[in-house]
Amino acid sequence: MENQRCKGARDLLPEDMERFRQVEDAFRNSCINWGYKEIKTPTLEYIHLFTAAGTLTPAMLGRVYSFLDWDGWGGERVVLRPDGTIPVARLFSENMATNEIARLYYVTNVFAFEETGKENREKWQCGVELLGDCEATSEAEIIALALEVLNTLGVTKYALKLSHAGVLKALIEEMQLDSEEKAKLLDEILEGNWQALASVNGGNRKTAGIISTLMKLKGKSSGFLVNLGAMPGLSRSLNKELDSFVRVADLLDTLGVKYIIDFTSVRGFEYYTGLCFKITTKGSKICSGGRYDNLVKLVGGVDIPACGFAFYLDELASQVKPWSRQKAEKTVVIRVGKKTTPSISASFEIASALRNAGLTAEFDFCGSQLAARWSIMVTDKLERFTVKDESSGLQRKVKSIDAVINIIGGFDKIGK
Amino acid sequence: MGSKAAAKIRLALPKGKMLNRTAEFLDVIGLGFDDYTSKTRIYRLRSQAFPSLTAKMLNERDIPVQVAIGNYDFGICSSDWLQELQARYPASNVHKVADLDYDNAGIFLACAVGNELEAEVRIKGGADCRIVTEYPALAEAAAYKMRLRKFRIFPLWGSADAYPPENAELAVLRAGDENALRSLNLTPLKKIGASSACIIANKQSLQARDFSSMLARLSRAHVIKEKPGGKEAKPASLPANNYAPGTTKGDIWLALADGHQQVHTAAFLEKAGIKMEGYSMDDLRRRPSCSIDGINVKVIRPQDMPQQVANSNFDLAITGRDWMLDHLYQFPSSPVMELVNLGFGRVMVVAVVSKGVLYDTIDGIKELINRGKMTPLRIASEYVNIADKYLRDRHIARYRVIPTWGATEVYLPEDADMLIENTETGQTLARHGLKIIDTLFESTACLIGNRRNLASAGKRAKIDKLVRIFKEAAEQK
Repeated sequence: MENQRCKGARDLLPEDMERFRQVEDAFRNSCINWGYKEIKTPTLEYIHLFTAAGTLTPAMLGRVYSFLDWDGWGGERVVLRPDGTIPVARLFSENMATNEIARLYYVTNVFAFEETGKENREKWQCGVELLGDCEATSEAEIIALALEVLNTLGVTKYALKLSHAGVLKALIEEMQLDSEEKAKLLDEILEGNWQALASVNGGNRKTAGIISTLMKLKGKSSGFLVNLGAMPGLSRSLNKELDSFVRVADLLDTLGVKYIIDFTSVRGFEYYTGLCFKITTKGSKICSGGRYDNLVKLVGGVDIPACGFAFYLDELASQVKPWSRQKAEKTVVIRVGKKTTPSISASFEIASALRNAGLTAEFDFCGSQLAARWSIMVTDKLERFTVKDESSGLQRKVKSIDAVINIIGGFDKIGK
Repeated sequence: MGSKAAAKIRLALPKGKMLNRTAEFLDVIGLGFDDYTSKTRIYRLRSQAFPSLTAKMLNERDIPVQVAIGNYDFGICSSDWLQELQARYPASNVHKVADLDYDNAGIFLACAVGNELEAEVRIKGGADCRIVTEYPALAEAAAYKMRLRKFRIFPLWGSADAYPPENAELAVLRAGDENALRSLNLTPLKKIGASSACIIANKQSLQARDFSSMLARLSRAHVIKEKPGGKEAKPASLPANNYAPGTTKGDIWLALADGHQQVHTAAFLEKAGIKMEGYSMDDLRRRPSCSIDGINVKVIRPQDMPQQVANSNFDLAITGRDWMLDHLYQFPSSPVMELVNLGFGRVMVVAVVSKGVLYDTIDGIKELINRGKMTPLRIASEYVNIADKYLRDRHIARYRVIPTWGATEVYLPEDADMLIENTETGQTLARHGLKIIDTLFESTACLIGNRRNLASAGKRAKIDKLVRIFKEAAEQK
């Protein structure tokens, strides 16, 4: 059949949905246990929410799905949500601004155009926002929460990389570039082109030395940051940003969290003001987050500090072993030799007994060749049940339901 | 496309302001076409030097799109339209082969003279900016880059210089240079791009076929240089922008048409006894002066009027019913309504196919589509929303609307299967080997207004007075 699916769109099949739900469930359970409350924002937002200075980068804005709504003659474009955090900042300022602190979480889709159509243009995120706390403990809290979710999902091989938007922005300030050059440089860095930083002509020479150190070295403890802070020629504002970074790194050291400090590990950090972090596994980015103390104010709300992160559901889900595969171990397919009333009746009876014993029992009356670890052939003979272990090919004939459960429950008894 | 067509080299050439210089360029490099003149009534051109080379004359704005979708292998156009296409669709299949050194201009962000400070404050302070432009994608990219906080872009068919400062704070528009912009009473704030004539090619054609002999000729492009003083001539019909700060004298804004509707509109106004100084062929200004007190008048494109009335930039406008309906189909809850049918400028809006098509009705076309022919149906039209609604309402399963900027007849049958077009007598269509298969509606000039403003206490009396005058004139034989 001709492919009628939109370019860059993805169908989520039963196995994909199992992985998705597994991630969502682990994420939701942890969030609830840590005191976070679920919210949902609308799919459509006005574009000016995202053009507000310092929210999305020009390159990201160039890939949004925006259009004039049916009543858009006033020229106000709407956009399919391109980012999870900014709408939450809006939701908070419109509905919850009197709260001193808010712990919020969401599962949402975000839309961004991708040229080849081979990547998804609609992606899913599980995110948390912690609004109202400016202490390093909040960054430590959200990182620990993220790691707990990964742990629940059995994702144990990952790298946590830390950077700091405050330090990077202070450095760019110190280069003393004119506003046009500064904007150009920031755009390059936001797109991940760190070479642009090294190749800036003019500006402050001392700063150039610090930048080259930051780009080359990677740290593994807060001591690295303390060393950087002790280097000559650092301004007070840069030192202040480094101090804030040290506080978070110190806390993570105390909590035994392993990380790498890599200033070049982040991109698109336009609205970030402090710590930025990302988590990768097997080369793919599964999580990123950080501190964005100005965001709520930028979208027209109160001045409230905030930090948060999002899991990239599509990438993270692909790292998770789906339940069905785990469940296949405990799934029994029931077939009948001949479709007689007694054998069908016996099939229902044994299926019910297996389900009560905590197993999944699935009928295969039509010979659809369902795959599972176990199968049972029900016949009208005296030894009614032939139990087969599909993984080894061994089978045994038994008379009673109890005997069947005994075999399946007692894995290594079969065949002996 | 069959193999016979594939052997040909298809070239898209611009009509309008670029035509003379482009014809000159083609002559110099030995690719001249005898009939490539502004007077020609032939749209399909053949080359003496290259029998396999065929060319069609299109509106220059349509050329990058047509080359990108593969209807043409090469095209010559102004690079601003190429940049506009690439800003909106970075992955489009079009490649710039060479710049030609004529038709040079810049794309500028500008405000009305005397409004520089206010524009600066708005840009920096994050206040709402209305930006009018024929280049919505370039304007949007520039706004993102400048990190404009809140802005609305109004895509226009033309006449962007007329809008600031009353109807837009900023305009993104093309001008020869900053002085040319200043002569329109606009102040350039930023140059956002440069433009010149250029040769473009379809990427896939370039990758798959041998065009070496053609490219060898085109590579002589450098022989054409901008002649001293040979700057692009200002088209005679372009109104002079006579804006000066502090000239607004009332609170009602009336929009009148430029282009070919201008003569008919002027005649109607005369019949209605309204004197409009600066709205005649020999004295056409952006802001004519109206004999009725408290009425401000601007001359803009009729296509742009409905949206400008909907957003209250104008209270009244004389436009065609076709453009009002196109607007209403895009924005069904728009407050725009027809106030008076003025009766002149009568055309029929019709569905048109090539004479070679076997069927004479839209149901016949549907049958062809059901049999797997003409699918997806390609409909070229200036009326994007009318075309879209027409096909939607007739449950055509797969169709593509190809937006055009005029001269749509030339698209059939190679580049489109159907047109939604306007016609007075049908003779032009017949001359181009086309036939009408359906009539959508009759369109005449009408006075349109904004439902909400009609209820406004301050404006109502003045609007009512004008409506009465127009009605009486329309009823005169």
